[in-house]
Amino acid sequence: MSELQAIRQKAADAVNCQSVTLPSGLTVLCRTMPGYSSVHAMYATAFGSVVRNFTLNGRAVELPAGTAHFLEHKMFESEQGDAFDLYARTGASANAFTSYDRTCYIFTSTQKTDENLDILLNMVGHPWFTEATIAKEQGIIGQEIKMYDDSPDWRLLNALFRCLYREHSIRDDIAGTTQSIAQLTPELLYACTDAFYRPGSMVLSVAGNITLEQAVEACRRCGLYDAADQPEVTVSFPNESGELPAREAHLTMPVNKPCFALGYREKPIEKGDIRTEILADMLPDLVCGGMTELYRKLYDEALVNPEFSGDDISIDGCCVIAFTGESEDPQRVAAMVRGEIARLRREGVDPELFTLVKNQMYGELLADMECVDDAAEEIGMACLKGRTLVQEIETLAALTVEDANAAFQTMMLDENCAYVQIDPQE
Amino acid sequence: MERKKIAPGVYITTLDAEKFNRCRITIHLRFPAKRESATDAAVLPLVLERGYAGCPDMTALSRKLARLYGADLGVDISSAGVDRVLTVDICGIKDRFALMDENLTEEYAAIVFGIIFEPYLVDRLFDSEAVRIEKEALALRLDAEFNNKRLYCVRQARRKFYGSSPAGIELGGYRSDLPNVTPASLKAEYDRILSLSSIDVMVQGADAVRVEELLLEKLENVSRSPRPFAPAMAMPVIEPQHFVEEIPGLTQAKLCMLFTRGTAEDLPSISVMRMAMSLFGGSTTSRLFRNVREKQSLCYYCGASALRATGVMMVDSGVEPGGEERAEQAILKELEALRTGPITAEEMEDCRRSLLSSMDSLGDSLGGLESWYYGQILRDEPLAPPEYGKVLTQAVTVDEVREVLQSYHYSVCYALTADGKGAQA
Repeated sequence: MSELQAIRQKAADAVNCQSVTLPSGLTVLCRTMPGYSSVHAMYATAFGSVVRNFTLNGRAVELPAGTAHFLEHKMFESEQGDAFDLYARTGASANAFTSYDRTCYIFTSTQKTDENLDILLNMVGHPWFTEATIAKEQGIIGQEIKMYDDSPDWRLLNALFRCLYREHSIRDDIAGTTQSIAQLTPELLYACTDAFYRPGSMVLSVAGNITLEQAVEACRRCGLYDAADQPEVTVSFPNESGELPAREAHLTMPVNKPCFALGYREKPIEKGDIRTEILADMLPDLVCGGMTELYRKLYDEALVNPEFSGDDISIDGCCVIAFTGESEDPQRVAAMVRGEIARLRREGVDPELFTLVKNQMYGELLADMECVDDAAEEIGMACLKGRTLVQEIETLAALTVEDANAAFQTMMLDENCAYVQIDPQE
Repeated sequence: MERKKIAPGVYITTLDAEKFNRCRITIHLRFPAKRESATDAAVLPLVLERGYAGCPDMTALSRKLARLYGADLGVDISSAGVDRVLTVDICGIKDRFALMDENLTEEYAAIVFGIIFEPYLVDRLFDSEAVRIEKEALALRLDAEFNNKRLYCVRQARRKFYGSSPAGIELGGYRSDLPNVTPASLKAEYDRILSLSSIDVMVQGADAVRVEELLLEKLENVSRSPRPFAPAMAMPVIEPQHFVEEIPGLTQAKLCMLFTRGTAEDLPSISVMRMAMSLFGGSTTSRLFRNVREKQSLCYYCGASALRATGVMMVDSGVEPGGEERAEQAILKELEALRTGPITAEEMEDCRRSLLSSMDSLGDSLGGLESWYYGQILRDEPLAPPEYGKVLTQAVTVDEVREVLQSYHYSVCYALTADGKGAQA
């Protein structure tokens, strides 16, 4: 067996995921986990906060900031009552979350799997919005927005995205503002569900004590099996290049240490380009991850705490690599990070460090597969991005230090860099 | 599951982990907290996590863990009533998933025991450079508390509640004591912990016989006189005290309310406490979630929790600035309604189902299972599987829940609010 075949076999064994696309267009993914008692299910759509303009069967729809998140809250409510009440009858724990590029509805349970799947699929499949229920939700979401306003990490990222992008809707907070969500109407919300909550746009991923047949049967019961008309939906994002809107931003907040973010606007990664996406994920670890000399120097000189980290975000029309942390001397830290990126571009990555970072990423993927919630969510997320976890592992295994060195030549360039600092208010 | 005593105050517990891709080895050292050395105890895990005699360099240790396919190493200190627990755990993939067929489990045990029993010392003391760096790191952590307003509010409330009681000794240490932490004081605290602690090693999916051999080997050179666990305590009942701290620029006010049982006698069973908290504010079917958050929209989050060993119940919430008093009154009203008003069979069963479900799922996570059994060890209870916890939960009655909730007395309310917007809570 060749090395690649052996890796492919190990990856397939570790992920062990079955999948089927139903005549309705709905993708169903299942990782059956023998010996497990619980089931985790995620029903998700690639409709996140950044979708603000789309056409539905030729009709243009424009959304205020925070629509996807608001919709997520409202989906728990039906004419018959609250989905939490129904889950309470089965003992399941349910939740939902919205990010820049997706909205996910989840539950974890150990009993009554079929009933729970029915609650989940019917709740998301039968939206119900009225003026009155929308008005009630605006109060709760207003509180949530305020909670995030007090988070320095959240404010930093928001300010950073505003420096890096002139038009892309990543500039706006996922939850929007109290003013933006005040513009929402039942008609707008129904337009979103018509466009993005149809079976062909969704993924049902399940893991644990469940079979693929069980999940498919639930889809059949909930009217999600048979072929259905798919609306024509187009979404477009601005392709931003050229000068950044701002190179630097400074804010004040009630914090007692300065916080900072150093971010790079990258070329958006094409859907299906797993290799570039994994590299974007890996580069921050090669610059200042826990195994690097730079991290050691920053930590030993008390310039950063262990929360200092680098991360990437890659969604339609946007890719950002960002380093964030707290420091008494944030500008010095930012300069050191930029210096290290320049050095790596010049001298190349230490091959041993590269192999170790790769090993670590492989171990993390395997760790996700032994936990029902991570497993269901990871296989579902990969599907929303148009790939499988096995492909991710294969691509990771095939990466070489030369790939990383080539990536340093085109990514994290100085001309695409912005810096944000939050200082303690007087 | 098997727990056996292998030396005075030293136990090893083996838990089944056949179905997992990964294995886990954990060592817990439970020892009495001491105000004078609290800051040493807080610095110690940071220094230990940097490396051990067999791998003294922090970066080299990180690389060693990555070589082991990203094994997770944790060194932490936590509270168990008025005691402290120093924990080192490692979790990594099983040998059969190693890409080069390496033997990984032996390496995991060597790291965990190396960190606890063979720290890196220079002239029999901790390395002065490591101590200097980690003192600075702890200072940064202590300062960072203020940046997380929810956490800050809870800790401030706790400080007012416990005052100078042993239960109020700061887990994270004291900023003012940091200059007194030295390589020698740290070594003295390390020796104290090793000598007085009750040691529990939990093995999941690794070779328990080999782990036991290694542990006994390491214990040979350690002088030990383990102490019994500290007894449960409770703060006395007082008139409710209100504290308001104004923070200019704060967008969402925070409210933390603490209640005491007033006595350490007749401790309620953990099953009854779990049901009581679930009904009051620990779930999406709780009174606080349904009424205070959903119906009245007074808080974005509003949850209740309790600690049995220190007799405290806490409600923390995020509220509209200026709405603190309304939120406080609404929370107290819900508590009173549960104490004296009707509790429907339906809401009891909703909470019970949710708890039973969470116990069913414990066996699906290495960490969950380990916490379940070590929780029983901390409470000095005989070990029983989650199935037994389900039987006890099934038996909890409305009267027992009501009795537990009636046993708490309102003590401290701490409010963080925006400048000039604070109502007297």
